[in-house]
Amino acid sequence: MLVEFDLIERARSGDDSAFSLVVQAYKKRILGTIARLIGRPEDVEDVGQEVFLRLYYSLEQLRTPEVFEPWLYRLTVNAAYDYLRRQRRRRESRMSDLSEQQVMMADAAAGGKLNDEEQRRGKVRERVQALLEKVSEEDRILLTLKEVEGLSLKELEKIYGVNENALKVRLFRARQRVLKAHELEES
Amino acid sequence: MDPMNRQPMEDQLDALWAEYRAACPDPETSANFMPMLWQKIEGRRSETTSVFRHMVQAWVMAALALTVLIAVLIPRLQRDPLYSASTYVEVLDDAHSNDAVDLLAGGEVE
Repeated sequence: MLVEFDLIERARSGDDSAFSLVVQAYKKRILGTIARLIGRPEDVEDVGQEVFLRLYYSLEQLRTPEVFEPWLYRLTVNAAYDYLRRQRRRRESRMSDLSEQQVMMADAAAGGKLNDEEQRRGKVRERVQALLEKVSEEDRILLTLKEVEGLSLKELEKIYGVNENALKVRLFRARQRVLKAHELEES
Repeated sequence: MDPMNRQPMEDQLDALWAEYRAACPDPETSANFMPMLWQKIEGRRSETTSVFRHMVQAWVMAALALTVLIAVLIPRLQRDPLYSASTYVEVLDDAHSNDAVDLLAGGEVE
């Protein structure tokens, strides 16, 4: 936990300054997770604000402060999922498919402003994003939380509210689908 | 692809996840993050209040309309009641009071 239970309790009982402190403590971590889940840096803050907005209005439903982190992750997953669904609907092979970051990278690379390391990182991001585009939003989020964020099965169990075996099956299937997409890409 | 050949792919994928994690560090938030968040919270709050206010207004209007309707209907119902206070037999008797008499008067029973 990044904050004391007492602070969560105060925020839950309507103390806005306590809520601000909770946001300050978690925003970097949550925005990082969102960035890796959605892959569009220009929209990360918007989605992050949506997460904390949902948190503000649902905090009183939190049973105990002990389950705060899985609760926050669940809100993050839901907001990212909603965002990705909206994006998928909006995306119809347009030029705007490229994120601002990709456009900036392309511009900078063309102008020779990026160093090798930054170019390599950009390529990795693009490659993983392209791979994740080929699977469903559910698979994408689950795999990112497990493989990239490094969450344990126990943590995922709490976030998804399903038992470990069901989760293992879902993870296995999601991984198989990504692996298949990866194989096709490589071949 | 058989499982034996799949292992290198799996390893490659694991390496790719790790690289992706390193290539996407936690971003720094802009100075506008908190003010914008509070603005959205306030916006949602006033939106909820406004929805609630509209609901209350609708309920008040409906209650008023019902009161007026009742005020108009009750005196009318008292003057011209929909249901008779008589029993079923009395109502039948009123409706067919002469049938038996006609039958007895003019009829020849075979």
